[in-house]
Amino acid sequence: MAANKSNPFMTPKRWKAARKLVQYAALLGFIALFLASRRGGWATELVNAPLRLDPLGMLANLIASRALLTGSALALIILALTVVFGRAWCGWLCPLGTVLDIASPQRKIQPIFKEPARLRSVKYGLLFTTLVAAVFTNLTLLVFDPLTILLRTLTVAIWPAIDRIISAGESALYPVALLQDPIDAFDKLVRPALLPESPLYYRDAALFAAFFVGLIALNWIAPRFWCRYLCPLGGLLGLVSKISLVRRVVVASECTGCDACARMCPTGTIQFGKNGASDPSECTMCLECLRACPRGGETFKPVIALAKLQPYDPTRRQVLASIGAAAVGAGILNSEMAARRDDPYLVRPPGARENNLGSKCIRCGECMRACPTGALQPALFEAGLEGVWTPIVLPRLGYCDYSCNACGQVCPVQAIPPLNLDDKRVTPIGKAYIDTTRCIAWADHRDCIVCEEMCPLPEKAIKLDETQVRNADGEMVTVKLPMVNRDRCIGCGICQYKCPQSQMGIRVFTLGASPF
Amino acid sequence: MRQLNRRDFLRRAALGLGGSAAGWLLSACGLSVPSALPTPLAPTPKPDLPYLVVARGAAEPEELVKRALAALGGIERFVKPGNDVIIKPNISVGYYGYQYAATTNPWVVATLVRLCKGAGARRVRVMDFPFGGLAEEAYTRTDIKGQTLAAGGEMEVMSSMKFTKLELPKGRDLRSCTVYGDIMKADVVIDVPIAKQHSLAQLSCGMKNLMGIMIERQSMHFNIGQRTADLASGIPLKLTVVDAIRILRENGPTGGNLNDVQKIDTIIASADVVAADSYAATLLGLRPQDVSYIKAATAMGLGRSDLAGMKIEEIRI
Repeated sequence: MAANKSNPFMTPKRWKAARKLVQYAALLGFIALFLASRRGGWATELVNAPLRLDPLGMLANLIASRALLTGSALALIILALTVVFGRAWCGWLCPLGTVLDIASPQRKIQPIFKEPARLRSVKYGLLFTTLVAAVFTNLTLLVFDPLTILLRTLTVAIWPAIDRIISAGESALYPVALLQDPIDAFDKLVRPALLPESPLYYRDAALFAAFFVGLIALNWIAPRFWCRYLCPLGGLLGLVSKISLVRRVVVASECTGCDACARMCPTGTIQFGKNGASDPSECTMCLECLRACPRGGETFKPVIALAKLQPYDPTRRQVLASIGAAAVGAGILNSEMAARRDDPYLVRPPGARENNLGSKCIRCGECMRACPTGALQPALFEAGLEGVWTPIVLPRLGYCDYSCNACGQVCPVQAIPPLNLDDKRVTPIGKAYIDTTRCIAWADHRDCIVCEEMCPLPEKAIKLDETQVRNADGEMVTVKLPMVNRDRCIGCGICQYKCPQSQMGIRVFTLGASPF
Repeated sequence: MRQLNRRDFLRRAALGLGGSAAGWLLSACGLSVPSALPTPLAPTPKPDLPYLVVARGAAEPEELVKRALAALGGIERFVKPGNDVIIKPNISVGYYGYQYAATTNPWVVATLVRLCKGAGARRVRVMDFPFGGLAEEAYTRTDIKGQTLAAGGEMEVMSSMKFTKLELPKGRDLRSCTVYGDIMKADVVIDVPIAKQHSLAQLSCGMKNLMGIMIERQSMHFNIGQRTADLASGIPLKLTVVDAIRILRENGPTGGNLNDVQKIDTIIASADVVAADSYAATLLGLRPQDVSYIKAATAMGLGRSDLAGMKIEEIRI
């Protein structure tokens, strides 16, 4: 990013175009890797790379898990980029930032209210609280990491909705004879490469969508409201940008003080009436100012100095308050019911351990994306507020496929261990119990055997006992009663998922303190 | 300019939506083809040909299938040039390779694909809807995809938009169900089950294999014999080839234990799925009338289960 005047090729217009090109490429790349992280997609080391580029997620995971993952070294790339170019990640690469740019209202719209500059310190507060909470092995606040927000929302809300819309269109048009062949060809093109074979369902999809819509709606208060004021990753990179090498400098001899740059600045860091002064911690290097300047007076050049402190920069008091908030928060979360007793239906993905999942999982939702049956769902309060949006298996919605080990393979932080298929097949995640008051055979004395039929184990964990029982009318009838051998059962949940009695005749319970 | 463009876009979107709504309305008005034509379940066999053929012996599956089909009058009896053929193997789960006998032998499928192609079929598709795991993955792991593609066939992942309601006028308990529409539209449907133990039906074979093309599978279990026969009464099967190269004697239909697998190198072929299932039952040590759906189908007149009374050609290689 050289001075525009000294470089006749890279005009301000071209700089802006280059930035947009990089932004769209990065967003498309992110979406492509998201799509490719389906079961049977691309190599897992590749598809989860964006999350391992994320310095906030990786740093918090390092602190909380007390274990260095070699893959997390990728995050050093973004840190190095920031040391050189400041928050260029935010302006050029961050896929959520690009989504917010695309979804921005026209700049001409008057802001609804003039937000105070102090609001910028919220992101630092969030950052410190996240990192200090990580010291207390808590990663709950990573739900506010921009990459986890985007990936989770794509998985749980956006992509399933796109699938529904496309399916509805296909089904509506398919009866028209003339259109059948083209629709057939289209369907083969997009399934299963881009869309699932069968529709997947996610709990609280609307909640995730609402969160995301709210985040976008903040743009109407100020462009990139999220990035300016709230984003904890932006806060981290902003602090690093205090020492960044390449910065925006206004050539004083050229500046007329017209404030055209200040009006265009999407993060509002260029101050009005101060000859274009700005804060490197807030500047995303988007180069809109370069384009706005009628005299081409802006330059970006290497500077070796610490950036000027700003009134909204974190103060000692704020840091102490964050430590206090994190400590109190961790304390409260640790006195929640979930910290003492597992929810009976808390079933975790294969190999994940309740005692350390919370301190490893970065809440990215990659495992839910990879799960081919939709069994993996975001936890609501099963694991307490602390475990919100960590993965749980909900056999009501999907089962843990006996031939799949995708979640552990794709997890960027090994919160779900990367088990090979043979090991995964013998790793229990829960135990199935028959509810004899609901089971069709036990309660209604009719043969069903679906659970037994579905049990995927080489020697089935569900066996049938052909027994004479007395029914409600006092007649003796012969029924095949299912029984679970808990030693063999791995809790995959296909029995519950397929149970014709509305998934109530047999249920998978948490491994918890299981005697098996 | 921008505003106008958006308006244009919305206008076009509205037109598109209207079009799709019209399509939906058209279909809702019953302008589609009536389903379940009163065709007989099986084409009438010529009197000089065997009703059912069994080929067994220490030969490759390919050889057994070819010999069985030749004895039955050749594939040309069922497949005409230009036909659209669907082969329905049993790919119920994608957990194991074919050696575990949970899924149909891939070479049996591939041989049928080649025979159909050789008879001039325009298109030969192979498909199933697994109950455990993804179809795409099951196709690959069972090697049915590999062998089918090598034989010039296509694998199709069943698409939810193609399922249509099927009336079953002959059904005694199940009067309608939702099945894969292409099965009803194809010129020829060939059922290629593998003979497996099943704890409720005793035997999973040709008629039971048809559950793979329907949606409401869970409801079948409450009267599995009658409802399976009812389903079979609506599916226009031309040919059934039972893969008994390996049979699964325990822990069916999912399998997973090689000790439960018995290799008996047998292929059964008949235009009558009831007859084919009846013979397969004997391979698992059952009598045809022990299998509830065979009993129900016989009572409905869908086919024959009187093995003693029918012309059976046994080929030993």
